[in-house]
Amino acid sequence: MPTGLALAGNPNVGKSSVFNRLTGMGVVTANYPGKTVEVHLATTRFKDEEIGVMDLPGTYAIGSTSEDQWVARRALLDGGPDVVCVVVDATRLERNLFLPLQLLDLGFRLVIALNLVDEAWREGLRIDARRLARLLGVPVVPTVAIRGQGLDQLVEAALAEARAAAPRRATPRYGRDVEEAVAALAERLAAADVALPWGLPPRAVALLLLEEDDETRAWARDLPAGERILADAEAAAERIAAGHDEPAPIRIARERHGLAGEIAEKVKTRVCAPSARQDRFWRLTTAPATGFPLLAAVLVGLFATLFWMGDYLSTLLTALWEAWASPGIRAAVRLALGEGAAGRSLLWGVDAGVNAALAVGIPYVLTFYLILSVLEDTGYLNAVAFLTDPFMHRLGLHGRAAIPLVAGAGCNVPAIMGTRVLATMRERVLASTLVCLMPCSARTAVIAGAVARYVGWAPAVAIYLIVAGLGFGAGLGLNRVLPGRSTGLVMEMFPFRRPSVLGMLRQTWHRFKGFVCVATPVVLAGSLALGVIYETGLVWAFTVPLRPLVEGWLGLPAVAGLTLIFAVLRKELALQLLITLAIAQYGTGADDLLRFMDRGQIFTYALVNTLYIPCIATVAVLARELGWRRALLISAFTIALALLAGGVAHRLIALMA
Amino acid sequence: MDPASLPPAVLECLDAVSRLEREEPPASRAALAARLGLDDAAAGERLGQLETLGLLRAERGGRLRLTAAARPIALRLVRRHRLLERFLTDQLRLPWERVHEEACRLTPVLADDVAEALATLLGDPATCPHGNPIPAPDGTLRPEHATSLDRLKAGQAAIILRIEREERGLLRDLAALGLLPQTKVEVDEVAPFGGPLLVRVGSARYALGRDVAARILVRKA
Repeated sequence: MPTGLALAGNPNVGKSSVFNRLTGMGVVTANYPGKTVEVHLATTRFKDEEIGVMDLPGTYAIGSTSEDQWVARRALLDGGPDVVCVVVDATRLERNLFLPLQLLDLGFRLVIALNLVDEAWREGLRIDARRLARLLGVPVVPTVAIRGQGLDQLVEAALAEARAAAPRRATPRYGRDVEEAVAALAERLAAADVALPWGLPPRAVALLLLEEDDETRAWARDLPAGERILADAEAAAERIAAGHDEPAPIRIARERHGLAGEIAEKVKTRVCAPSARQDRFWRLTTAPATGFPLLAAVLVGLFATLFWMGDYLSTLLTALWEAWASPGIRAAVRLALGEGAAGRSLLWGVDAGVNAALAVGIPYVLTFYLILSVLEDTGYLNAVAFLTDPFMHRLGLHGRAAIPLVAGAGCNVPAIMGTRVLATMRERVLASTLVCLMPCSARTAVIAGAVARYVGWAPAVAIYLIVAGLGFGAGLGLNRVLPGRSTGLVMEMFPFRRPSVLGMLRQTWHRFKGFVCVATPVVLAGSLALGVIYETGLVWAFTVPLRPLVEGWLGLPAVAGLTLIFAVLRKELALQLLITLAIAQYGTGADDLLRFMDRGQIFTYALVNTLYIPCIATVAVLARELGWRRALLISAFTIALALLAGGVAHRLIALMA
Repeated sequence: MDPASLPPAVLECLDAVSRLEREEPPASRAALAARLGLDDAAAGERLGQLETLGLLRAERGGRLRLTAAARPIALRLVRRHRLLERFLTDQLRLPWERVHEEACRLTPVLADDVAEALATLLGDPATCPHGNPIPAPDGTLRPEHATSLDRLKAGQAAIILRIEREERGLLRDLAALGLLPQTKVEVDEVAPFGGPLLVRVGSARYALGRDVAARILVRKA
């Protein structure tokens, strides 16, 4: 049995750095059904000892209210780790000690990683780690996780703590009246002769009951003697409330904060006044007069970088593929299967499919993740969320959704993965739907190549405006229709930090791997399937059932309808295929779209292409992030919206002509 | 009337009634009995004592009200209690868990001038270690002009009074972040167009949506 080590901590204290340093590769993520917050699992070796590491989501407390807290708590209680390592931020010790105190209350064995000691040092803070250890009654190891300092000692201390046979002596002590109420209730629980939930000690369960914890109350309610235990708990809570003018859960939280503050005060020495740099940064980035221009510049910069760097990488990768890999693969397939339909179908998958992944997904995803980690690691993401919150609020979202939405203009796939910054499933569904309606670079290519070239720039701009209007309307509508309502924004604004290049690259690579594993197989399989349909000539069979919809409703040539289906692989394929199929049907010369479509038809075509399901990679990512049912619902919604908008556009254009 | 001349049991009872009046009016004998862990007869006896001293009257329907004479005593007791808590924590460095109880024990026997000497020694602290405000020496709390946090402008500071109770989840989330009643918050920035507030609490900064801020009642500091 490997030793179980859980990593806990507030958000943004360097917990992931500790995790990445400890484990390196081979990370598995675990999901609780219906929850979007993940728990990362990995195993690692330390001096011939196997350790299973569980990385909990960053939380301020282990309650059962918000999703991240619920997941962290579930993973802890279900996983039953041998030792919990709490990463605390040395620069904000009094805030960070709340969580370890709560974990001690639950009876876990703890080790504290006193992280960011270098930053605390620079800010003129000295922290007496030994005294902190004595006051808390648990080992404390100073660390600089981003550079790996102190982590060996940390693991050693954790292993020693996990192996220690003696029962832990450290329990936080709150006010005596609280402690008496807890002790009396714990005694009742011990005497009730019932199995306590998750094998917790009686004191922990008593505290949870006094804190009005929903899950623990539900557990008590189901007991034969549940009524009495709950009545006891209520009486005890009432006594605490009477002594302090406030409800017991608030009193306990206050005691815990007070104790945390007192301990922090005792171990902290300030050798020089804190610098005003942070304050200046905050003022610059959040005051409206400077904040909005800066935000506009950052968003334009983000979009431009995504577009140009993505485009550059895309051209580079496809050129490399076509120059080095493609000829070899073509030759090999031709050698094995000959020139027939089977060989050509296979090439759709292994050649064109890989090419598609290299051209559309990968370059933009890589670029986006790099930009995202810069925004995250410097702390600027907070300012973005702060300033855009009022606009996002109307759509049932909050400020954190701004970055994924903007990123959607480059590629929808990383944008949807980026919605992980949102806390609830409702917000993620809303944001993901809006991202799907965001014209990505591939769709922009079709709008530019078809509408701007053959119809004019004004209609091309009109398409963007129509899509933006529909997106906004869809957001407003969904916000009304979806059950629940958006949670208010309560977000810690993290201090600005100098980012570490290595850390950012590592983070980018970690996320990028996730994308490649999900999207690439789907793109390849989809390419192969469409290749078979195309090469066997089955494709023409689809024109007949499509005719009423494509010709009757949208007023487009049937062949254009076919290309819309194929474009689900990658959106800019629509235009290339349209020309290829048009040549096959109408003969050479059809490469000029105006030979077989009028300007109105080209407009409708590009509009429908822009609105319906982004592409197969997007659907795959939607399914992974939100589940298949939601992915299919969102896809169906976009198809319906595209058909509706296309049909209306066709009729309006006919009226105007 | 000097509270020190009253027996501790009477002071305890007076304190409980004043809290009941504030927290869950109307205060009744049954509620008092439950709070003090007494039976109905014992509670009646204590209330009788208060009434004879002219500190309490029972209205029709059993509603208990402290008289005007009782109010300054109640607040002075609060002042002593909280000063003692500060003293026990800051000066005597007593462990956290003993502070509240020891202060309870000492409160009824502390003379007013001793309490003032304590206040001077401690540098006239504004709050107890738990963050609750300490009333002024004349037994008054500064008048509270409650307003909601979202009405504050950038640069203003306020003390949280309470958070609307109907949302337990919000209350607990805020409590975990240290946004508890009696905590001081400073508004650094207010985003335009109905955007969030950037508030500072101790060393931490939080962004609070306007709707969340509207549910936090504060008084300007």
